[in-house]
Amino acid sequence: MINSLRNSTFYTMIDVKAKINSFFIFNSSFGPREGDELQRILFYHPSQTSADAQKMQVGLCEAVVKFMSTFSSEPCEALQTQTKRYIFYQPEKGYWMVLVVRIPYTTKALSAIGESRGAADIINPSVMYDLLKSAYKMFRMFRGPFKNYPIEEIYTICDQFYTPYISSRNLSNDITDVIQGINYLPLDKNSFFKVLCFIDLLEVNYPHFKCISFIYNEQLIWNGLSTPDMLTLYQYLVQSLLPKQVEKEIQGGAVAAAQRHGRFIHPPEGIHSQADLQKLVKVHLMREDDKETKQYYLVVYRTMSATVCFTVDENVDLQFEMFRSLDAFIGPQLSAIASTISEQCTLHALHTAQLAASEHKFVYFNRLNLAFKTSPTLNKLHPSTAIKPEVLSIIASIHSDKQSLGNYGEIIIKTPDEYWITGKSSNEREFYVIIQEKNANLKEIADEVRRICEAQMKGIFFYPM
Amino acid sequence: MARFRLKDSVEYYLALSDQPKRFDADSPVTNVFFDDSNGQVFTVRSGGVTGVTVNGMDESKSTSFRMEDRGPIISIKFSPDLKILAIQRNQDNQNATVEFVNFKDLAPTNVEYSHTCKWKNAKILGFVWPKVNEITFITDHGIELLQVLPEKKQLKSLKNTSFSCAWFSWCSQSNIVLLAGNNGVLLQPFSLNNSTITKLQKLELDASRPVVERDVFILRLCDATWCAVFRHAHSATVTAPGPTEVWLMPITGPSGFHYTHVLKTGLVGRFAVNVVDDLVVVHHQASQTSQLFDIMEESRPESGVVIHIPCVAGLSMQPARLGDLHCPMYSDTWVVFQPDYIIDARLGCLWRVKLVPEGLAHSVPKDEIAKIVAVLLRRTDGKDTIYRIVNQLVTEAGSYLVQLSQVFDEINSVYRKWAELEMARNTAGQALEAARPPHNFRVLVSQPDMCSHVLQHHADDQYLVQVVTAYIASLCRHDMVVQQAAAEVTVRALVTRGAAGRLRAALRRGALGDARPLACALLSLGHMDPAAAQLALDMLWRLRGYEEVVEVLLSWNEPVGAVGAAKQAGNAWLALAPRKLLAAARAVAEARGEPTAFTAVYHALLNRNERTRGSPHFLKGEQCDSYVEYYKQITAEPQ
Repeated sequence: MINSLRNSTFYTMIDVKAKINSFFIFNSSFGPREGDELQRILFYHPSQTSADAQKMQVGLCEAVVKFMSTFSSEPCEALQTQTKRYIFYQPEKGYWMVLVVRIPYTTKALSAIGESRGAADIINPSVMYDLLKSAYKMFRMFRGPFKNYPIEEIYTICDQFYTPYISSRNLSNDITDVIQGINYLPLDKNSFFKVLCFIDLLEVNYPHFKCISFIYNEQLIWNGLSTPDMLTLYQYLVQSLLPKQVEKEIQGGAVAAAQRHGRFIHPPEGIHSQADLQKLVKVHLMREDDKETKQYYLVVYRTMSATVCFTVDENVDLQFEMFRSLDAFIGPQLSAIASTISEQCTLHALHTAQLAASEHKFVYFNRLNLAFKTSPTLNKLHPSTAIKPEVLSIIASIHSDKQSLGNYGEIIIKTPDEYWITGKSSNEREFYVIIQEKNANLKEIADEVRRICEAQMKGIFFYPM
Repeated sequence: MARFRLKDSVEYYLALSDQPKRFDADSPVTNVFFDDSNGQVFTVRSGGVTGVTVNGMDESKSTSFRMEDRGPIISIKFSPDLKILAIQRNQDNQNATVEFVNFKDLAPTNVEYSHTCKWKNAKILGFVWPKVNEITFITDHGIELLQVLPEKKQLKSLKNTSFSCAWFSWCSQSNIVLLAGNNGVLLQPFSLNNSTITKLQKLELDASRPVVERDVFILRLCDATWCAVFRHAHSATVTAPGPTEVWLMPITGPSGFHYTHVLKTGLVGRFAVNVVDDLVVVHHQASQTSQLFDIMEESRPESGVVIHIPCVAGLSMQPARLGDLHCPMYSDTWVVFQPDYIIDARLGCLWRVKLVPEGLAHSVPKDEIAKIVAVLLRRTDGKDTIYRIVNQLVTEAGSYLVQLSQVFDEINSVYRKWAELEMARNTAGQALEAARPPHNFRVLVSQPDMCSHVLQHHADDQYLVQVVTAYIASLCRHDMVVQQAAAEVTVRALVTRGAAGRLRAALRRGALGDARPLACALLSLGHMDPAAAQLALDMLWRLRGYEEVVEVLLSWNEPVGAVGAAKQAGNAWLALAPRKLLAAARAVAEARGEPTAFTAVYHALLNRNERTRGSPHFLKGEQCDSYVEYYKQITAEPQ
């Protein structure tokens, strides 16, 4: 009874958020003989799907992937049928991750009601592909590559990981899902150095601990990981760990005083004894100065709104004393830094508030440090509903298709409902402006975009303005 | 508290000059006099009959001669040009008289004369030479300034001031004489400059605690003149007297020195004072230690008084040697003169006290390293020791990162103040100077200095990245532009140590100023680190290096981007050679199979020709014929 209740809420969540039909992982070599098909399926969501239906879906994908391999050395990426779209991702040889979304295919009756409403609701293939990729990278960060696991373990491991992952994944058709980037905190150099010197001092005094990330609210200040891993950890923190923490902080008013001094939030219960060290999670990450991925313990510490992540080499003999001393060291310093940053943020907010807000929306993305900025608030609580799904879809396709913009290029697209979407790229940066203007002409749009560019891209080389 | 020990440093921060000036020791037939104005020791044997020897630290000021014994000598001094010798004798029942002997080439001539002071019943307490051919008699009735006319064997009175005086103190460096009146409650300074007597602001002391002669000195310190007074605790009423303080009261000097400085010795007993390199040295006989006080240290005045404690814990001076023998130190027979003379009359030695800067860092509590560096920054020979300290801190950055950061702050704050003052001086003239408290900038460590004397020697150190970061952070805290030398060291350190991400983060926050050399260094990293190239291009653009941006884009096979960038830059576009652009565009068009890359550039150039010359065609000298052909070829309609 309880079980079904939970499932039903789970269902509605997924159904509301996205049109995900199914998500599965398979490896054909795990059950090569006929009759062993079920063994090939490492994970299948939704889990209530009948075994036969699972077998059929996976069988179809296997066939398509195999069939396509005769035409191209590149692995197959997508399949579209009248009702479904399949996206394939092969992160490791033989391991396929598949995401299936329903396409609300247009019948005559539907099209009479609204103009191709359905098409707009489909998740863009590039967004789906990115979703698969981040699902894999998250697994890899916490569990390592699939191939590390023997066949008898892999089913449990995948289930343990992906079942909660999928239920917690808050998927909306939002600009932050279209372009996966990192929100950096704009900080003056002196405050930045305060953070950096704090990290240096900490690492020098506690050589086992290496700071891999410093986040204020949801904005990144310092990163010590290689670029791809940086995004994965950032997403984990911002989408999963921190929202839970913030919720806890809001609920537990009494612990406010303790939070001022900071505490370990990963493991989530904190570290209060030697026994708690057993709860530390290991992660597979590549640090910035490293050449390969290694396994580390992940430690996260938080004071006020500042969150610091550390890695500790897995071979280190962990002692509770180390953590207690670290806590005593970080606590007061970090809260001082957090207050400095908070002051800076207030100043910055005042400053930006004074700038004349443009009524037009823009999106900025730096391909190299994954910096991402938008004119509407990034907060998921206030989704940028103003960006219509069609527009998002267009931006998604410009973003995913590097050819359309090239390294130095510009494109202006007008939608039938008077949206002008300008995409520009220069010096490894992308900039999108969305203008809704019924009676504008191309020149007016170009001028307006140039104006926004000049205001937003001050001090960097961004051609053509 | 852990202590920092400067490697290979001597233990002592004060030493006596290596070779003392020797003279015949004080004895029943020999009298020794010291003139601190000329730094000369007079040894008078048998009243001068068997000879007078004059020894100065400066060999050219040494001489010897004979003279008649006309009675016991109280004071004997040369004029500043060593051409007149003045002698004051103890002649009871006679008028207050000073004798003069003209000298030539440090040898007496037979020209002798004398002069009696204007007050008939006065007692001459002493005389001083404020300048060549000017002498001042200090008597119990007042002071009289006289001009000496050696050729005429006469003295002419210039000025006199009545003042009832018991004793006086003289400072030859500032020509200020301090008269003690009212039993040592009132101290009245007079300036004897400009051939006149100027009465200065009197110093009034607590009437219940008058001072005695041996407790008062006039010091020249930090370009100001001070009256130093030993304030002993009320020993009469208290059985266990409190420690002695030295009060420094300003007499004259640049504005900014208007507070009384109180030096807390924490000791009782017999003291003497020297000044070495603008440090007040307080010698304490009982403990055989000498304390150093730096009145320029940062401290907050409280009700008009600034309190100081010694810069370092009190320590003995380095034991002096006389041949193979150790000299007794802090002996009873020592006499201390200003500014830095010490005489042992029994041994017949004249020394000068000197500062040994490295000794200050011989053993320092960890959290006082920055304070010691600050003290060294104000010393004439401090620079070398500062480099040694910083080098050692960098090598041991694992334990001294915080202290290193503080030391960088001390160094940069001094440099910053100096730079500000220089700027003010250059823009507003001298007027501003008077308004600010004076600073002395004995040691300035510029960014190139720090790089060449410190940072460059640590390429293999474990914590180089953290050290360089701390240095740049300190520069930023002091609002100083990171100069090329420091930027170069930073880039090299961070890149070679796998901290390129840190470099980029710092660049993005504007920590390293924009400069062409920096942009070029980043560009050269671009092949390994595309993000560095991105920042380099941004920087060149901010520096208005449009030609460079165009060149870079061409080298990246982005001819269309290059044209666009050049067009935005204005003049750069008009000056670009068409052949170079067309060649690059053609190469890209062919390599990528994108003929539009060529046609776009080609059209842009035709437009430019049209605008500048009124005709779209290329000039013959531009040698573009082959590209015109190529254009025709790729745009030709397929047959």
